[in-house]
Amino acid sequence: MLPFPKFSYEAPGTLDELFTLASVSGSRIVAGGTDLLPSLKHRLFQDTLLISLRRLRELRGVTIEGGALVIGANTTLRDVARDDRVAAGWPALRDACRTIATSTIQAMGTLGGNVMLDTRCLYYNQPDGWRASIGGCLKADGSVCHVAPNGAGCYAAHSADTVPALWLYGAILRFGSERGIREVALADLYGTDGRTWLGNARDEVLLAIVVPKAPAGSVVHRKLRARGAIDYGMLLTAVHRRPDGSGAAVVSALGPRPVFVEAERVEDLAAAAHKAATPMRTHAYGVGWRKHMVRVEVERALAGS
Amino acid sequence: MPTEITLRLQINGEQVRRIIPANRSLLDFIREDLRLTGSKHGCDVGDCGACTVLVDGAPQLACITLAAECEGAAIRTIEGVTDGGGLHPIQEALHRHVGAQCGYCTPGIVMAMTSLLEADPHPSDSAINEALGSNICRCTGYTKILAAVREVARPGSPS
Amino acid sequence: MTDDRDFHVRAVAEGGVLGGGGRGKVDGLAKITGRSVFVDDLVLPRMVYAKVLRSPHAHAKILSIDASEALAMPGVLKVMTGEDCTARYGAIPVAQDETALALGKVRYIGEPVVCVAAVDEETARDACRRVRVVYEPLDAILSIDDALSADKPFIHEWARKPSNILRKVDQEYGDVDAAFAASDLVLEGTYDYPGSTHVPLETHAALAVPHADGRLTLWSSTQNPHYMHRTIARVLGMRPGDVRVIKPDIGAGYGGKCDTFCTDVCSAWLARALDRPVKFVFEREEVFYAHRGRHRTKMWLKMGMTKEGRVTGIDFKAWAEGGAYASYGVVTSFYLGVFMTMPYKVENYRFQSHRVYTNHPPCGPKRGHGAIQPRFALELHLDRMCEALGLDPVQVRLDNLIEAGHETVNGLLVPSIALSECIERVVQASDYRAKKGSLPPGRGIGLACSAYMCGALHAVYDNDLPHSGVQLKCDRSGRVTIFSGTADCGQGSNHMLAVFVAERLGIDPTDCTVVEADTDLTPVDLGSYSSRVTFMAGNAALQAADRLRSQIASALAAKFKVPVESLVFAGREVRGAWRPIPWLEAVDIAEGHHGTLGSVGSYKPPKIGSRLKRTSVGPSPAYSFTAQVAEVTVDQVSGVVTVDKMWAAHDLGRVLHREIAEGQIEGCVYMGVGEALLEEQAYRKDGVHMTPSILEYRIPTVYDTPEIQVLLVESHDPGGPFGAKEAGEGPQLSTVPAIGNALHDAIGRWLTNPPYTPEKVWKAIKGR
Repeated sequence: MLPFPKFSYEAPGTLDELFTLASVSGSRIVAGGTDLLPSLKHRLFQDTLLISLRRLRELRGVTIEGGALVIGANTTLRDVARDDRVAAGWPALRDACRTIATSTIQAMGTLGGNVMLDTRCLYYNQPDGWRASIGGCLKADGSVCHVAPNGAGCYAAHSADTVPALWLYGAILRFGSERGIREVALADLYGTDGRTWLGNARDEVLLAIVVPKAPAGSVVHRKLRARGAIDYGMLLTAVHRRPDGSGAAVVSALGPRPVFVEAERVEDLAAAAHKAATPMRTHAYGVGWRKHMVRVEVERALAGS
Repeated sequence: MPTEITLRLQINGEQVRRIIPANRSLLDFIREDLRLTGSKHGCDVGDCGACTVLVDGAPQLACITLAAECEGAAIRTIEGVTDGGGLHPIQEALHRHVGAQCGYCTPGIVMAMTSLLEADPHPSDSAINEALGSNICRCTGYTKILAAVREVARPGSPS
Repeated sequence: MTDDRDFHVRAVAEGGVLGGGGRGKVDGLAKITGRSVFVDDLVLPRMVYAKVLRSPHAHAKILSIDASEALAMPGVLKVMTGEDCTARYGAIPVAQDETALALGKVRYIGEPVVCVAAVDEETARDACRRVRVVYEPLDAILSIDDALSADKPFIHEWARKPSNILRKVDQEYGDVDAAFAASDLVLEGTYDYPGSTHVPLETHAALAVPHADGRLTLWSSTQNPHYMHRTIARVLGMRPGDVRVIKPDIGAGYGGKCDTFCTDVCSAWLARALDRPVKFVFEREEVFYAHRGRHRTKMWLKMGMTKEGRVTGIDFKAWAEGGAYASYGVVTSFYLGVFMTMPYKVENYRFQSHRVYTNHPPCGPKRGHGAIQPRFALELHLDRMCEALGLDPVQVRLDNLIEAGHETVNGLLVPSIALSECIERVVQASDYRAKKGSLPPGRGIGLACSAYMCGALHAVYDNDLPHSGVQLKCDRSGRVTIFSGTADCGQGSNHMLAVFVAERLGIDPTDCTVVEADTDLTPVDLGSYSSRVTFMAGNAALQAADRLRSQIASALAAKFKVPVESLVFAGREVRGAWRPIPWLEAVDIAEGHHGTLGSVGSYKPPKIGSRLKRTSVGPSPAYSFTAQVAEVTVDQVSGVVTVDKMWAAHDLGRVLHREIAEGQIEGCVYMGVGEALLEEQAYRKDGVHMTPSILEYRIPTVYDTPEIQVLLVESHDPGGPFGAKEAGEGPQLSTVPAIGNALHDAIGRWLTNPPYTPEKVWKAIKGR
């Protein structure tokens, strides 16, 4: 049995209590916990306080506000995927939810948890004893990045399945803290280092994901993984084919920040994505093939759009 | 900050109340505190499905669920898969098809399939795959398990 | 041995026990209700828990171990190091190179170094991380080339000079060079088969219990309780009679639980030291270090053929990378070559193998032990030669098949074979002939065959004792208890024993209780390895059942004044007297007549084969045969390979239980598909295991498993119980080469190094 480390636990009943607890240094929010709890078992964090969202009903559920979709951060991926309004208006979001891990994980994990998912790396997401054998890494207990020992920082890969589609849908993230409510475009959130990928949002609590009325044209999500279930993506792709013949793509699982590209002619989008993508050795599959697959996945997503 | 909590929940129809450490997983709570050992440790980090139980009807991986998060919930484990004993149709079918070889993954698979069949008594093949995709079986190649589930999902038609 | 050809017909007519037919297995209800009891489910008064600290170095001297900080922690009871238990052990008597914990030096990353017992697992785990171990790193041996180099340090000082070679085998039969000279085509090729591991869903676990009288009980998730019993007694310096090993239900093994592990030795040693029960259960990560899986094997194969397609001779070399300890590696070195002389007739054969030590987790026996890798090479090579000569792969295989009664050039006598029927059925079911070479680009079909053993003629330690014993108890309750040392790992051997006994006594398998794998209670059986259980324990069970039947029959014959031969046992009664005698009454009469009823049966393999040496590895009392066809689709842009369907026809001698037999074959194909497409025990160049989790070491989910059509073929082996042979290992041998041959049909490339990852296939397509 792999035990949890010691931690304390609070389940606040109001947002004010939540914000007060969230300001405690080293606290973390459990919003499903399907990534956080394995990482705790692997001793990736030394945190002492876990904050549960389970008593905060207002953070759960899907509503429509003025044509926009408002999804409580603690809404399960399964509930998002099964919502008829999501399926009708934002189908790529539904598709993304349904490719996450397994159906059981989808029933546990939440959309907020996915948007805030820790970056991943073959040298980071390993048990503590394993990490000791490589002397740790930049992101945990060490000073060397094993992916790029001469690089400038941590290259752990952004691996949140829903983010490429949410990005192209223009999603807004609603954060709360003792300082008040703040809205940030999802596209502006993520940083370029695997350790600080959440930019300045780490001491705030994600309350809701607001997805404006879907843009004209169609958005398509694709996931590249080795198996039909369980796996995180080796490459996450979403494309937007616009009515004016232009297009945009977000490709992810390449580095800490998803890569956004646009092309005036949608025919050029795959080449643009391929050019912009720099896969790192964060996954078991090689970088040459994964770069090749950026072009393929964008082309195939467009074919399905 | 509390490192112990008082937990109240319903397990297989029975109310229980226990003081537990905050870092207790639901799986350890079930196995160690309640001595319901049908749910298994397979990977302990949510990859294999051997610990699958139902929380308010939905399948959950007990190894990466905090017991504390289940306050007030109704939990069902393999020991309570049917009310008042007897076999669930999926258990009966798995037995006849010999869908359990070593049997270690079986309780988790029974729970995942129970949840599937209770939500939809006649799931399509793709719905069955979606549900069974949550559970690793290393013995059977899934063939006999699929035959059993399909038989329950579509009685009378060849599996 | 028993041959009972009319039996099947009768069994079916009377709803008998053979054939399966939707009736489950005797321990099936416990499994589907979660009531099977595995080691980790056991809890005893005063029980404490053990955990280990593992080596972060691939090869290093241990300079010092300081456990004072750990020992000072509340709840920590004992710290054990390699110095506490120095007796060396190992699976094979000639290669006893392991200790429970590293002694003096560490030989792979993940090797257990220090074991801590504490009041709970959390404390034991935390305490391990407070033990300070100082190492002096040594030059590590991390490849076959490293191991063969004379410039590297020795991993084990006693390994054969001039390098880290555990065992080298050289064999030659006939005249290979002359055979090649007389061939129309001689083709050479190299193959590189990856290492892979078993991933049983239950991690290794042990619970050791000291008794007031000084005896010790060890509950262990082992496939081989008997060998474990011998090892534990010797390592702890105890009399074998003072040690009791019990294997409860286990969450499968596939060969991965044949050895004795640190869970077993440490829990036993700590239990005696503390005089308290000690439980030790591996975390998932640790199973990848315990390993004992498939050896990565580099191979060189040269084969001669006439233009008509007759195989003239084979020259074969294999280098197996074995990791840091021997395990069953001596046997592996022989298995790599021994089955190359079947199922195709080969009169000229030269074989050389090296099984080497490296600083990786130790390899050992994984399903199809040592035979998987050469079979892959041989079956691909055969198709390559057929392509070069313009011959039909089906016809060439059929034309070269050995026949029943054939003795191979290396001394394997084959009593039964129905492989031609397997080939014909699988070719027909898959429509192979119409599809081969005719499917659209990117789609392909491939065939492969294989042969495997039904148990070894020799135990791993040399002796003249039975390999299997079965004891029956029967009394006026009507219940028959079967005591057997066999270890059911999920393959259904408990049910098989009940089938044999029930069929002989005319009762139902559910009328029998199987008590298995408890060295205090059950007669010795060598264990669940080499596909020996159905064949060997089955014959022992039949002998015991026949003897019990004779006792009952003689009592009834005396009472009812009828000849013994006229009595028929069926349908829970004995027929042939003036009225049918119900089973309960029959037992009652027999108990009154003879006193307490009971019988024993045993099995020792016959010494068959004229060219056999006493110590040779590979000979078996019978061989199973498989033919498989794979149909694949290759996404030529991404390189992703999908196995659309597998057809598997297996000559298992006799169908004893349809669903169980099919399930074994399906499980083999499943594991083969994993090895073909996904799985590899992969290390970084410094020896770090890169994927020690079910998330990253990718075993197939339901989505990744093709449809599998099983065809059961019966050859009625003269020595098999009711004619039965194995079905749980052999079928895996054909799977990967069938997929490899199908890939060639799809993309025109011979891919000689599975797993066929998209990246590899993409590169192969690009390079065309």
